[in-house]
Amino acid sequence: MKKFFLMIAATMLVGVAAAQNAKIPENITIKTLDGKTVETSVIKNDGKPIILSFWATWCKPCNRELNTIKEVYEEWQEETGVKLVAISIDDSKSAARVKPHVDGNEWEYEVYLDQNQDFKRAMNVVNVPHTFIINGEGEIVWQHTSFVEGGEEELIELVRKVANGEEI
Amino acid sequence: MRKKIIIAASVILFSFSAKAQGILGGHVTGNVQLDGQISSRDSVIGSTDVPQKLLSNARADILYTNGDFSAGLRYEGYLGPMLGFNSQYAGQGIANYFVSYKTQTLAITAGHFYEQFGNGMTLRAYEDRYLGIDNAIRGINVMYRPVRGVTLKGLIGQQRYYWETRGLVRGVDAELSVNDIVNALAEAKTRITIGGSFVSKYEDDETILSDIDGYKLNLPLNVGCGSVRMDISHGGFGLQTEYARKGQDPSIMNNYIYKNGEALWVSASYSQKGMSANIQAKRVDNMGFKSVRSESGEMLYINYTPAITKQHTYAFLSMYPYATQSTGEIGLQGDFMYKFKKETFLGGKYGTDLHINASLIKGLDTTRIGGIGTDGYTSTFFGTGDTYYGDMSLEIAKKLSGKVKLTATYGYVVFNPVVEGHEGDIHHNHVVIGDMTWKINKKNVLRVEAEWMGSDSKYDPAVDDKRCGDWIMGLVEYNFTSAWFISLSDQYPYKDGVGNYYNISVGYTKGASRMQIGYGKQREGIICIGGVCRNVPASNGLTFSLTTSF
Repeated sequence: MKKFFLMIAATMLVGVAAAQNAKIPENITIKTLDGKTVETSVIKNDGKPIILSFWATWCKPCNRELNTIKEVYEEWQEETGVKLVAISIDDSKSAARVKPHVDGNEWEYEVYLDQNQDFKRAMNVVNVPHTFIINGEGEIVWQHTSFVEGGEEELIELVRKVANGEEI
Repeated sequence: MRKKIIIAASVILFSFSAKAQGILGGHVTGNVQLDGQISSRDSVIGSTDVPQKLLSNARADILYTNGDFSAGLRYEGYLGPMLGFNSQYAGQGIANYFVSYKTQTLAITAGHFYEQFGNGMTLRAYEDRYLGIDNAIRGINVMYRPVRGVTLKGLIGQQRYYWETRGLVRGVDAELSVNDIVNALAEAKTRITIGGSFVSKYEDDETILSDIDGYKLNLPLNVGCGSVRMDISHGGFGLQTEYARKGQDPSIMNNYIYKNGEALWVSASYSQKGMSANIQAKRVDNMGFKSVRSESGEMLYINYTPAITKQHTYAFLSMYPYATQSTGEIGLQGDFMYKFKKETFLGGKYGTDLHINASLIKGLDTTRIGGIGTDGYTSTFFGTGDTYYGDMSLEIAKKLSGKVKLTATYGYVVFNPVVEGHEGDIHHNHVVIGDMTWKINKKNVLRVEAEWMGSDSKYDPAVDDKRCGDWIMGLVEYNFTSAWFISLSDQYPYKDGVGNYYNISVGYTKGASRMQIGYGKQREGIICIGGVCRNVPASNGLTFSLTTSF
C-alpha cells in the first residue's frame, strides 16, 4: 500500500518534462442521446476550437449559459469554426429528460450523457456549469466555473484568439 | 497513516506548481475544495452550538493520466465534519485511490471505483460530496467489449463506509447494441439497446430474533438482485424501460421480512425542435438493497431507484424535495416544453418558452400478513394507497428586450410528512415565483427573484416541521463581470410559521477557481447563487468555500 503511494509520488516527482497543456482524455465512455455508447475520442472539430460545457437539466445557470449562447451560436460558428459540445451530468433521476430538454430548447449543440460522471471526474469538474476551451490540438487551454450573462462575450473573445492560434 | 498524509500533501503541493505538467509523457490534474463553517445556536431554526467553533471539510483529488493508463488518489479531511455530515466522517486521510488501464475494448480498474448498471436499479456506486454520500466500491472492475456492440462488465469489492469498507458485492452486466450487431440494422433509424445485470451480496450470519417465541431468523447469507432493460429510439421518439427483481433480503429497512423485491420503470418521450413531451411511470416494492442488513442510514446502498419527480431549483418549490420510498411506491410524472416562435402573437419579438410538469406518487395497496420473519405483506400491482407526493408547475420564460429576461412560475405541491417518517396532515402548498435578469451593460448584471408560498399547514412545536406556514422570499443578486457577485436574500414566514432565513454572500471567480463567503441562516436544500448550484445543510453563522481545478 505504502509502496503504491510512493510509486505514484515518485512518478510525479521524477522526470518533469517540458510544460504542456493537458489534453482531454480519449478513452472515457459516454453516451449519445439515442443511447449509443461512444468514447470521448469522438469529441473532435477538425483542428478548430471546441467549447466543452458540463451542465445538467436541473441547473439554472447552466440553462442560462446554453440558452444565451444559442442566440449567437450560428455567428460564432461562421466566424471561428467553433463547436460547442455539451456534456450532461444528469444521473438516472433525470437522464431520460435530457433529449426532450435539448430539443425543447432548440439547442443545436453536440450533446452527450455522462451518467456515471466518469468524464466529469476525469476533467476535475466540481460544480456545474464548468466550461472548457479546447484548442485545435485537443489541449485544454482555458476553463471557467459558473455563468452570468455577459460571460458569453468573454468566452467568444478567447475562442477568437484560440482560433487565430494566439496564446491565452 | 501519517506517512500517507505527508505523501499526499507533497503530491498536492507539487501538482499545484506543476499545473497540468507533462510528466513522463503524462499529465497531473486535480481539484481542491475547502469548506468551512462557524455556526451558533438558534433555537428558532434549530441550529446548535458547535463545540469546535469551526467546522471544515477539505478534499483534494489528484489524477495522473498517461495515455491509456491513469491513477488517482483523494485526500479527505473532516476536522469537525460540517453540519449535515455524519459524525463518523470525522478524521482525515486518503479516502480513495485507484489505478486504471482503459482502451476501447478493455478497461480494468483496481482500487476505488464508481459504477452504474443500467439505471442503477441493481447497482449504482456513486458519490455526492454535498450530501456526504460516497458508496464507492473498493475492489476490481473490468469492462470488456469482445465484438462491436457488446459491452460486458464485471466487478467485485467492498463498499466504502465512512473510513472503512463493509460488505461484499459481486456483479455482472451485459449491454447489446442491436444496430451494431445486426448488420442489416446498422443504418436503421430505429436504434435498440438491450441489457441485463445481476448483483449479489454476501454477509455473515447474525442473530436476529423473530416476534414469535424468540426464534432466531434463518438469514440468507447471499442475496441476489437482477434486472433487464431496453432502450429504443426512433427519430424523436424514445422508450426506455427497466425491470428489476430481488431475492429474499430481510433487513432493518423492511423490518426483516422475506418478501421478494420488485421495481419497474418506464419512460416514453417525443421531441422535435421547440417541442417535447416526456412521461415516466415507476413502481417500487421492497427494493432497498444494502450490503449490510442492519445499516439504516444513508450509506451502503448497493442500488438506486431514481425518483421520477422533477428536481425543482427555486427555494419554495424545492422546500419539500421528494426521494424514492424504496419500501414501496407507485408514481407517474409528465413534462411538456413548448417554444412559441418569434414574431407570433404569443411569441412576441424574441419567442416565449413554456414548461409544464406534473407528478403524483402514491403508496402501494398492501395487505399485512405478519411481522419479522414472515413475508410481511402482499401488494396488488396497479393498486394505490396513500398519496405521498404530488406537484404541478407552469413556467413561462420570456425575453422582454435585449437586456431584460423574465420568468414567471406557478406551482402546486402536495406533500405527505409520512415519507420523512413524521405523522401529520398532508401539506398543500401554492407557490408563485417571479425571476428577472437585467443585463445593465456588458459588465453589470442584476437578478431579482421574488417568491410566495401559501400553505394549509401550520407550525406545530410537537411536530417541529419548520417549513410550515405561509412564506415570502426576496433575493437580489448583483454580478460584476463573471468575476464578482454579491447576493442578499431573506425567507420569512408571515403567517403560521417560524424562523427568518436571511443571507448575504460575496463571491469571486477566476478561471476554474472560486471563493465564496456568506453570513446568515440557511436551511437544507439546493441553492443556486452566483451561477452555481449546490446542496447545503442548515446553519446559522458564517460559511466559506474555496474550489479550484487545475
